[in-house]
Amino acid sequence: MSVLDPRDDVSTAQIQAVEEVFAASESTPKKNVMETKNLSVWFGTRKILEDVNIEFPERSSTALIGPSGCGKSTYIRTLNRLHELIPRAALAGEVLYNDEDIYAPEVDPVRIRLKIGMVFQKPNPFPSMTIRGNVLSGLKLSGMKKPDHDAIVEKTLTAAGLWKEVKDRLNHAAGELSGGQQQRLVIARALAVDPHVLLMDEPCSALDPASTLKIEETIRELAQEMTIIIVTHNMQQALRVSDHTAFFLAAENEPGIVVEQGETGTIFSNPKDERTLDYVNGRFG
Amino acid sequence: MTVTSSGTGSGTVTYARNESLDQKPQQPWARRTPEFRLINLVAVVVPIAIVGLLFWYTPIPAPILVTIIYFPLQLLAALWAAWHLRGRKSTPDAVVMVLAIGFSIMTFVILGSILFSIAIRGFQALSVGFIFQNSLYISPSTPLGWGGIGHAILGTFYIVLIATLIAVPLGIGTAVYITEVKGRFSAYVRFFVQAMSGVPSVVAGLFILTILIYNGLFSQSVITGALAYTILMLPTVARTTEEVLKLIPEDLRTGALALGSTRARVVLQVVLPAARTGLVTATILGIGRVVGETAPLLLTALSNDQTVLNPFNSTTASLPVYIFEKVALPFPDAVARAWGAALTLLIIVGLLFALARVLSVRRFAKK
Repeated sequence: MSVLDPRDDVSTAQIQAVEEVFAASESTPKKNVMETKNLSVWFGTRKILEDVNIEFPERSSTALIGPSGCGKSTYIRTLNRLHELIPRAALAGEVLYNDEDIYAPEVDPVRIRLKIGMVFQKPNPFPSMTIRGNVLSGLKLSGMKKPDHDAIVEKTLTAAGLWKEVKDRLNHAAGELSGGQQQRLVIARALAVDPHVLLMDEPCSALDPASTLKIEETIRELAQEMTIIIVTHNMQQALRVSDHTAFFLAAENEPGIVVEQGETGTIFSNPKDERTLDYVNGRFG
Repeated sequence: MTVTSSGTGSGTVTYARNESLDQKPQQPWARRTPEFRLINLVAVVVPIAIVGLLFWYTPIPAPILVTIIYFPLQLLAALWAAWHLRGRKSTPDAVVMVLAIGFSIMTFVILGSILFSIAIRGFQALSVGFIFQNSLYISPSTPLGWGGIGHAILGTFYIVLIATLIAVPLGIGTAVYITEVKGRFSAYVRFFVQAMSGVPSVVAGLFILTILIYNGLFSQSVITGALAYTILMLPTVARTTEEVLKLIPEDLRTGALALGSTRARVVLQVVLPAARTGLVTATILGIGRVVGETAPLLLTALSNDQTVLNPFNSTTASLPVYIFEKVALPFPDAVARAWGAALTLLIIVGLLFALARVLSVRRFAKK
């Protein structure tokens, strides 16, 4: 007898209760893992970004789109305090991670970067290390002690969609891998330290469609468990992998602003702003 | 003016820049908490205070105090501060930081004391006349204020200039052969250049003396001195240039070749211009390698009290040889002149390096 059988009145009541809980959980907004409030960014006196307000809910993926030079990469680098490594960099406003301002003076940037991982545009595996060594390098570099390295290597490489291709040559040099494989390797490397947030700065821009597809699958799976923030120039990619989208735009000689943001479906099918409509339809940028 | 609307759905739209938002660029990462400042202050002041007290009340000599007591104390203090502020994991940072700062200070102290002692001793001999006059009719016992080292400065300039004019094109050519032409002999050329950089300077002088001077091809003069310097400069210039050219990305070369460029044009118009700053550095390092060399000039250029303009027919003075000759004389004024010459040499080298740096940076910025 099925649980859904209406003849069983006890179970009907239970089902109703469960459905109510589900409905409630659907409508409760997810907690924000990261958020920027009135964030403006400068290099020297040149303003790159102005008044960026974006919220990044937990277990979701957000795409940052916009033409080149509008400050997307700069923005993503402020989220894990890599921005400050550039001389003359400056900013104003707040970047919140779990409601804590990551730029507060008592915050250790090392701790922030450990929790907010990053994958860069060009794959950057450490050339002197093996594939296995690269995956575990984050543990070593951050002094993190975790048992069972083999399990971590298998788990993260599987999550990054690379395990099947490299499981027989884990002790080979990372440089032997192709570009797409290297990029998946650095994703696995970023996952091995168990970050809460993963920033991706155009992770597929130098890759072929097959590798791109694999990485996109990986991103969608990861977004079930963590927060993904991805910069992309590829509109289809944003549509495929993200729940939310923010559209950045900079007028000539002016700082970049977020023109429109919202659910990815809305942004692409029914944007409110004409510029967004033009951009997502490939009319400029 | 700002219009931010939240219409249907979850999206928001910003139509224009928010002009009312008044923000100043800040560098929040440079801000420190009061606790951080206090602990850092304690970690710096306490070891210094302890060592200061020890220095005052005990007869322990200063070098032992600094190396055996202060340094470990400072290390401990930094460890404590790091542990207290950022946890156990950051303690290696503290160790590295203390070592790095400590070693830089040591280097600075060593260099500084050399400069200081030369400046103190050389200062009394310096005057306008000292820089511009020569030493004709000046005996070792002539008091300061008479005569000068103008002839030696000119001699050094002359020798280094000619050596540079020969060694830099040769050195760059060698490096281009090794890295760009990649000819059949590049491995051997590289090996010889490396071996050549190990040639002692006195051997370079002896080589010129026996091959060119004893055979009657040249007399001891500016040109033979310059040739001896060339032997010393060449490997430095060639090896530095080689390293610089290796750093030029391969994409640049393939990019130029793909435009239908010949190999020679790739080198002349793409690779070498891209390596410009590095070439200046190579030249500076080459000059720095030779400018204070004394031994080869003792054999090939000798010395002179007069100003020498013809590079071929007469022995010539130079700063290193002048210093070498005068500093050993039993007359305080001659020794003072030697220190004055040493200070002048130091200042010239400093100016040269500064000039080269300015030149390379400016050219780089223009294009």
